[in-house]
Amino acid sequence: MFGWHGKILRVNLTDQEVSVEDVDPQTAQYFIGGRGWAIKYLYDEVDPTVDPLAPENKLFFANGPLTGTPAPTGNRYMVVTKAPLTGALACSNSGGVFPTEMKRTGFDMFIFEGRAEEPVYLWVNDDQVKIRSAEHLWGKTVHETEDALLEETDAKAKIACIGPAGENLVKVASIMNDKHRAAGRSGVGAVMGSKNIKAVVVRGTQKVPLAEPEQMKDLCKLVRSQVNADVKKGASLREYGTAYVPIVTNEVGILPTRNFQSGVFEGVEGITGEVLTEKYLVRAKPCYGCPIACGRDTRVDDPVYGGEGEGPEYETIAAFGSGCGIGNMAAVTKANYLCNELGMDTISVGMTIACAMELYEKGILPESDVGRPLNFGDADAVIDLVTKTAYREGFGDLLAEGSYRLAEKYGHPEFSITAKKQEFPGYDPRGAKGMGLLYATSNIGASHMAGDIAYAEVFGVPEKLDPLTIKDKPRLIKYFEDIFALIDAAGLCVFLSVRYLFEQNMDLRPTRLTKLMNYATGAGYTEETLLQAAERVYNLERLFLLKAGFTRAEDTLPRRMLEEPMPDGPAKGHVVELDVMLPEFYQLRGWDKNGVPTDAKLKELQIAR
Amino acid sequence: MDRSCTAVSVVNIRLKLFASYRQHLPPSSQGSACDLEIPAGTRAADLLARFGVPTGDGASVILINGRSVEPERVLEEGDVIAAFPAMAGG
Repeated sequence: MFGWHGKILRVNLTDQEVSVEDVDPQTAQYFIGGRGWAIKYLYDEVDPTVDPLAPENKLFFANGPLTGTPAPTGNRYMVVTKAPLTGALACSNSGGVFPTEMKRTGFDMFIFEGRAEEPVYLWVNDDQVKIRSAEHLWGKTVHETEDALLEETDAKAKIACIGPAGENLVKVASIMNDKHRAAGRSGVGAVMGSKNIKAVVVRGTQKVPLAEPEQMKDLCKLVRSQVNADVKKGASLREYGTAYVPIVTNEVGILPTRNFQSGVFEGVEGITGEVLTEKYLVRAKPCYGCPIACGRDTRVDDPVYGGEGEGPEYETIAAFGSGCGIGNMAAVTKANYLCNELGMDTISVGMTIACAMELYEKGILPESDVGRPLNFGDADAVIDLVTKTAYREGFGDLLAEGSYRLAEKYGHPEFSITAKKQEFPGYDPRGAKGMGLLYATSNIGASHMAGDIAYAEVFGVPEKLDPLTIKDKPRLIKYFEDIFALIDAAGLCVFLSVRYLFEQNMDLRPTRLTKLMNYATGAGYTEETLLQAAERVYNLERLFLLKAGFTRAEDTLPRRMLEEPMPDGPAKGHVVELDVMLPEFYQLRGWDKNGVPTDAKLKELQIAR
Repeated sequence: MDRSCTAVSVVNIRLKLFASYRQHLPPSSQGSACDLEIPAGTRAADLLARFGVPTGDGASVILINGRSVEPERVLEEGDVIAAFPAMAGG
């Protein structure tokens, strides 16, 4: 095989045994890789009604065929499992360097099953695989864990691990890699913790074989030159990182403010990309093989908020900044560093605290339960509660369950701004209605990464769409969901792919992505078969959700989004007309009016219920 | 004697330039914004061109009062015009 190694490492933690399996070429091709392979195996092997934290759940680390190749940003892996936060699918993506090193071990995917009796870590050194005790690491932060493991394995190894939050089964715990990168959402860190896996350490020297190396080299060179031209023109994330976004979403009126009570934040000038650059930026940082370098190496010199690391990203700024009513970039950055050290999703932690703030200010959540006042804008409370959440200490034990369970416990779940119990990312859908349909239909709960139509609705890529109309959004959301599944499955980063590997008009044909896939794998995809494979992945994910017990009723949004008009800004007066968009979306997907894929659709995609 | 004072009609607008376009703002700007007096009838494209902002080929997103507009749109009294390079989000 080319592109794919065609090999899976299966780790049975209960029996402390590892085995290697081949992947048959048709499965490989039909499900593309990464996210696609993982759902195929998850669906075949795991009962979707399983408790996510039980040993019967399985945890997948999945690379794509383009991971570890010369493809720019060919360095993304996917963590897939049944999610503790939502009970739906978890598909959490991360970059850094770990994915490439993992691909070089000669395995495309790791499957973790069962549960170890005592904490362990996996050490994969090319084909030498060991399950080693991690008792001496249990309790350590992410950075402490990585530093210790580099000493006892290989100084050049790359590491994915959980912090105390994953160990404490916090439902918003992440899996961190390369110290500062996060497979963030849906509580994947808690699944890893439930299996008593502290870390996965990889070191590899196997090159990825390519079907057409010369053609691949030429196309990659062309793409890199276009990226570099954009960097020169200032049309790139390199200059400010994703931190340039708050001022944009604020201007459009969709920056989540005080738990989505508004889309305009009066303190936005304190949390802009300029502030981050001028005060805290050390350097721009690329993931392995990336010509963009959107990452931020940062450092804050401050008695209260001091620290160093990577980030914050836009989502973190929206959650801990405007979401919590905080216009202080140093405080936001500190909250970001803490989440990375302790291993938690910045979006869900920030937005869960924001929910608690609204409950508190409305007199629903008593101060005595929190242990301190909890008004919007209280940065010190945020810093304190982030740590308490990771250790399930005091009120942190409730925050650790996510905003839905928190708000429900106090009798007001409507203040949890979530879909399928996962907290919204940084775009208020009343002012970006395509995002509303996306949040409601995504297979992992509210997520921008499931099909980020904000590219077009907000950022003008490939073209600027009107965010306040619902016209044509169902068709576009379906397409964006499919192409994001494709990018995830291929092992690439969306920042590069959407703009440079698809035709830059609203048809968004995957011309160059198809070429890259074929140069890597030699599999002879056409654009049609590749898009169909992506649709296959998406539909299999949907089948998993349906078997897990989800119905049309959960394809919805909080009452605030459906019934409370946006109070101010350019989107004033708007709500999300989900009841109009959803039936059209189901029809375009080939699903019945209950959101169930029809027999005809499954036959077309060649998958079985 | 006929003294004709022909007042040149002006409109007052606020200009915001984000991300890499911010460097094109005049030194008197506060943060990402500056207030300007411009001739009535000025189009968004013309104003932005004065500040070195490209408006062709979808290179920029242009918003007036938070809503996207075509570059030909004429600016009116009190408008807030914002522009930033069209690129990935976050």
